[in-house]
This record gives sequence, C-alpha cells and structure tokens, in this order.
Amino acid sequence: MSRPTSLSKGMLLSLFAALALTLMPLPDEVSPARPYWVALVLIYWNLEAGRLRHLGQAFALGLLLDLLTGTLLGQHALSLIVISYLTERFRNRLRFFPPWQQAAAIMALLFNDRIVQLWVVGLSGDAWPPWTWWLAPLVGLLLWPWVFLMLDRLRQYERLQKT
Amino acid sequence: MNFPAGAWSPATGGDQAARTARLMVYGLLATILMVFDYRGGYVSEIRGRTVVLVEPVLLAVEAPFAFGRRLGEELRTRHELQDRIALIEQQLRTREAALMMLEEFESENAELRRLLEASRRVEVAFRAAELMSIDLNPYSHRVLINRGRRDGLEEGQPVIDADGVIGQVDQLARNSAHVILISDPDHALPVRVRRTDLRTVAYGTGQINSLRLTDLPMNVDLEPGDVLITSGLGGLFPPGLPVAEIRTVTRQAGEAFARAEAKPLGRLDRARHVLVVATYSSVTDEGVDAASDAMESQPQDAGPDSIVEDAEATP
Repeated sequence: MSRPTSLSKGMLLSLFAALALTLMPLPDEVSPARPYWVALVLIYWNLEAGRLRHLGQAFALGLLLDLLTGTLLGQHALSLIVISYLTERFRNRLRFFPPWQQAAAIMALLFNDRIVQLWVVGLSGDAWPPWTWWLAPLVGLLLWPWVFLMLDRLRQYERLQKT
Repeated sequence: MNFPAGAWSPATGGDQAARTARLMVYGLLATILMVFDYRGGYVSEIRGRTVVLVEPVLLAVEAPFAFGRRLGEELRTRHELQDRIALIEQQLRTREAALMMLEEFESENAELRRLLEASRRVEVAFRAAELMSIDLNPYSHRVLINRGRRDGLEEGQPVIDADGVIGQVDQLARNSAHVILISDPDHALPVRVRRTDLRTVAYGTGQINSLRLTDLPMNVDLEPGDVLITSGLGGLFPPGLPVAEIRTVTRQAGEAFARAEAKPLGRLDRARHVLVVATYSSVTDEGVDAASDAMESQPQDAGPDSIVEDAEATP
C-alpha cells in the first residue's frame, strides 16, 4: 500500500512542524534544553512506518537544519545519520519494547547524540554548553509518548483518507 | 495498529554491512563539510548563497511570533504609552542639548583638520534593524536581523546597539541577515584603549559576556575599567565606537605576553533594536598604514580566523 520511501503529506507536515518548533523562540534559561524535535520525528517515521530510513535522507535533513539554525555545516547532518543508523540497527528490538522502555531507549539515543554534538562543539572551539543542555534528552523522553501518539493519529488519518 | 501493510522486511546481514559502509561515507562527508565550513572558504560561500533559499522558512516561522509581539504592543494601555512617550521626549531633549555641543565641536574639528591638512573623518550612516525572534543555535554566536540586501546592507558592516558594538553582518539574504557577534571565537576586532591609545585586537571567547586580549606586552599600561573603542584599522568599523570594558589583566610569570579579559558594552544577549552602520568615505591614508602594521603584528596563534583574514586585516 504505502511505499516505504515515498514522502507523504503527513510526513512533510510533521517535518515542517519539527523545524518550526526548533526555531521557535524560547526564554534563554530553557532554550538549551530544547528537545531535538527533528530527531524525534525522524525516529518515529523510521521505527513505526519504516520510512525516512535512508541515511541520505537523514543527511539532507541535517544539512537543512544546519542552514536554518546557522550551525556549522554538517553538525546536525552527522548527528542525524548516527541516530538514523542506530535506530535502524536496533529497530526490531525497539519496536516491540513496551512504551516506557522504548522512551528510555530513545533517551539513550538522544543522549548519545549530545555526546556526538559535544565533540563537534568542543573541536570548533565554542564555549562549553551549560548544564541545562544535558536536560534535552530527558525532555525528549517525556515528549516521546506524545509525539508517538500524535504522529500515529496523523498516519492513521492519512491511511483512512487514502482508502 | 503499528503494522502497516507494506512493512519493510528486517535487514539482513549483508544489508547491515552496506549500511555501515554508507554511514562511514556520510560521516566522512559531514566531517569534511564541517572542516571546510570552519576554515571558511568555498563551503562558507555556498552557505551564504543557500541562506537565500532557506529564508522563506525562517520568515514563515518568524511571522506568527512577530505578530504576537505586535499584538502585545497594541494591547498596551494608553497610560503606559503616554508615560513612555514622556520619558522618551525627556531623553530626546537631553540628547539634543548634548548634540548641540557636539556640533560646535565638529565644526571646530573640521577647521583644525583643514589647518593640519589631515584627511576627513569617516562619514557614517545608521540604519535601524530589529532582531528576529527566531532562536538560532545558541552556541553559534549569530543572530538574525530583519534587514537584508533589499535595505542596502552589505557584508561586513558593523552592528551596534545603544551601548556599543555587537557584531558585524555576516550573511545576507533579501529581507534578513545573519550577524556574527563579537563574542564568536572566530571574530577579531581591532580596538584601541581610550585612555592610553594602545592599539590591539579583541578576540571573541565563545562566551557571550567576555572578550580577550592576548598579545599585550608585559609592561602594558592597562587597568580594569579601561574602555576599549574601535580603532578604525581595517576600514570596516568606523573609529571611536565603544566596544568593551577591561575586567581583569593577568601577567603570568613565564609567559611572553600579558592577557586581559574584557566585558562587551553592547548587550549581546539582550539587545532587541540594533543599528547597522554604513561607512561612506574610504579609509584615510594613516589608517591604511596602520592597518598593514596591525596585520604584521597579528599573533601567530590566531588560528583560522576567517573573519580576521577576510574582513578585518585587509583594508
């Protein structure tokens, strides 16, 4: 029915929403703890729908994110391909975890990503991020069930429309 | 419900190996991109071009927040607004009085310069801009302003707020521009100490509230509280704009140079309204000489300071 690699309207919508949420202004105190929206959406589509699973797609998405946020070109690309690779690698296991365990695994993924990004930040000579920066995976953990439910609903709705 | 009909079959061993190889290739590609972008060359140029492409997305995300802010202003009470107008009018009067004195000085200065046959001072014009609400990566030391190529901005133009220098225009799109802050680790700004006329270079540290001066002689006459102003060397920043205030001076025994730390006067993290400075006349002869001096005295360990090379040192 749905071809695994095709871009659907719902997916584009969710990606745009993730980009918008990433750029959304937040107060300075909490902005370092901003969850990695694009990664959450990417993980969802890979895990549940088997779409957006090509590393090339993750790479392109990362570059777009770099351009939008004015980051060193390639930083988010690197972080997203690592996430995409790991999700794919443990996909079969992750899918059958109970929800809370799955959320914990997502947090581990996001935490790993923080380390990858810290490596880039450290090498490019930027300031060490504040401690709130490490809260982002935790926020991701708390948000995961909601992202999951919302995107599931979106996908279901889309499927109903198609038939 | 999570099992779509066309579910993709699990990866086999060979597939996995191919995927690992692809990860390596993409990882390498990302690393190469980062290195080139850091060095500032081709990739930075490409990036400058693509900023134009992603601009619509930025503007689309910005629009509702700009509207919200506007709405908030609309909803202010009349009373509040009147208070504010009164305050601003009062400020305007004091400024005008100060300006009258300055005009007197200016004509006197022009007269003296004519007598000395010195070159004319640099003419400047200010263009007001507002920071966009969009959050960029907080570690990139860049902000977005709502003026762009269409408003006649050019790359490298200084950006200041009411208290001092904030940064300079880096990448230009049609209706917006990236501003690189002076606190960016890649940024270097030729400055002068107002009290002693000592010329040096202030580097960004990556921390929003601090700049560092590294190549100072050990016997330098510098004290906490000294104000740094732009020296005008390099030709991009007009001379005399306040930059920072010295916080600490350290003379470590055994080191060849003294170091100092300075606190930027401009409110890098909080400014909402900024001014972009356009410089009209070219650099004076004296300025060119001094700029080449400054270029020679650049420290060896300046690293890949693309801003220094591209924008500052070359007049």
